[in-house]
Amino acid sequence: MLKRLSFIQIHLLLGVLLLGAMLASAGIGAFMFTPAEMARYLAEAAGWMSAPAADTLGRNVFLQLRLPRVLLAGVTGAVLGVSGTLMQGLFRNPIVEPGLAGTSAGAAFGAALVFVLGEKTTLAFTAPLGALAVPVLAFIGGFAATMLVYRVSSSFGKVNVFTLLLAGIAVNAVCTAGTGFLSYVARDPQARNITFWNLGTFTTATWRGSILVAVIFIPCFGWSLRHGKSLNALMLGETEAASIGIDPPKLILHLLILNTLMVAVDTAMVGVIAFIGLVVPHVLRMMRSADYTFLLPASALLGALFMEVIDVVARLVISPAELPIGIITAVVGAPVFLWILLREQRAGGTALYG
Amino acid sequence: MVEVRRVHYRAGGAHILRDITVQFRPRKFNVILGPNGAGKSTLLKIAAGLLKPSEGDVRYGVQTLQEVGLEPLARQRAVLSQHVELPFALTVEDVVRIGRYPHYGRTPAPRDREIVDRAMGLVEMTDKRTQAYPTLSGGEQQKVQLARVLAQIWNYDGSSDEKYLFLDEPTSNLDIHHQLHLLGVARDLLNVNCTVIAILHDLNEAFRYGDAFFILENGALAQEADNDQDISASLIERVFKVRARRVPDSDGDHGYWRFSL
Repeated sequence: MLKRLSFIQIHLLLGVLLLGAMLASAGIGAFMFTPAEMARYLAEAAGWMSAPAADTLGRNVFLQLRLPRVLLAGVTGAVLGVSGTLMQGLFRNPIVEPGLAGTSAGAAFGAALVFVLGEKTTLAFTAPLGALAVPVLAFIGGFAATMLVYRVSSSFGKVNVFTLLLAGIAVNAVCTAGTGFLSYVARDPQARNITFWNLGTFTTATWRGSILVAVIFIPCFGWSLRHGKSLNALMLGETEAASIGIDPPKLILHLLILNTLMVAVDTAMVGVIAFIGLVVPHVLRMMRSADYTFLLPASALLGALFMEVIDVVARLVISPAELPIGIITAVVGAPVFLWILLREQRAGGTALYG
Repeated sequence: MVEVRRVHYRAGGAHILRDITVQFRPRKFNVILGPNGAGKSTLLKIAAGLLKPSEGDVRYGVQTLQEVGLEPLARQRAVLSQHVELPFALTVEDVVRIGRYPHYGRTPAPRDREIVDRAMGLVEMTDKRTQAYPTLSGGEQQKVQLARVLAQIWNYDGSSDEKYLFLDEPTSNLDIHHQLHLLGVARDLLNVNCTVIAILHDLNEAFRYGDAFFILENGALAQEADNDQDISASLIERVFKVRARRVPDSDGDHGYWRFSL
């Protein structure tokens, strides 16, 4: 049925679903808000209505905790969805995602360096960067890890799947060991931060952090949208893409930089969240098309939609406590993904053999 | 006209091409011949602008490749190689449309859509336009790639621009029907102001379809011929390390070659 809809129609459909999910995500949790209450808080915040003194707690929870969290979850989902799509396009392989190619682990290591060594120690090397130290180091770590995996796994214009997997495993192991070492030597509150953050969490969402992630994401996303055609051409191989007028090394470098930028900054805020980047483009390809001019916008919308739903689940399952996001994405995402693989293999699908 | 001038290519200590100067014949079927490792593919890639020579230059008309630029070059020449696999399931139509990418920005113009349709028609793949590329047979996949390169340099509207089609062993994975079909379509292009430059492995096929021949041996040009009759058995025996004999054809002027070790 979806196959008959045009790309734009599917984008609109996903957009409407996303709005619904954001509304639900804003209303549901340890504090429940009706749509009427939410509208009233927003109107009060905008200064259209005067705020009664009685309801300060609800209003503060909604405006200062819930809303930035909804924004952070949405942008995070969009970042991971788009990133999975971009990386699968650049590596010309459906198994790649920021978790596998080392981007997230590298970024996590960079951020952990700042958490543990950067502040208030004799090694306070990140002091000049101030509040930007975490995103900047996360970017450096993520970029170094991704480039290393790409360089090792690609030769003569082709990406070798086995080398890619092995290089990803090796780079991830080094980064994870580094992060593990840092949490071992860290003092307790820092160590707990790292652990929680390695599983992914939106509990620390603030307006400042959410807006930073969004501000980085929007231009990266806008820029990547211009490269849908180039990514389609790259599917044919680097030589063929070059014969269509594309400069593959330049394209790959540019897209890897902006991909790492948005993933690293996001990882610095919310930690490592697996599987979204892998599943989102895959679902969209099955749903409608492998055309990147369709996939890029659709993966932002579907990624955000998934993440809003997962965040609601995280808040509800052991309410009033919360589950880390990464646990849910893995527990739900992995079986769903295995099921997709099985189904596809029975149907004789070839999408996985790059 | 495509011209390769005093081209050398070195990689990893090996001297792959040595001082090659070639003028490919305009609106003819040019064939590059030679044994494995003679540098055919390297020469083709350099002429197509996909590889930078270590020395020397390539000219399209009066311009060097740098002067032409990547995108304008992509509107003038297309390259079809052996076998293209896709990691994802684009449809036949999606793949053919890629050939029009250098010609449009965000969305294809009506003319681009029409050319995609006609290119699919020309290779008889119109009824499979929505089928996923990876599910096609090898022969069908190559037809789709052929349609893609035809769409890229579409010249059936009587354009005066000279276009170039490079074929890098395009038939090596194809059955005889698909081989003849592909070479037939390529030959037809000569009538619409196109120049074909091909690497073919089957010498009889090459002599039957080709107009001009460039024989490479160890990275150097061993012979250039505008008629296959000018190519001697002794040259073929030396270059390809086989014994070769021309056998008269019952109905043809060409005859065909028979090889043995």
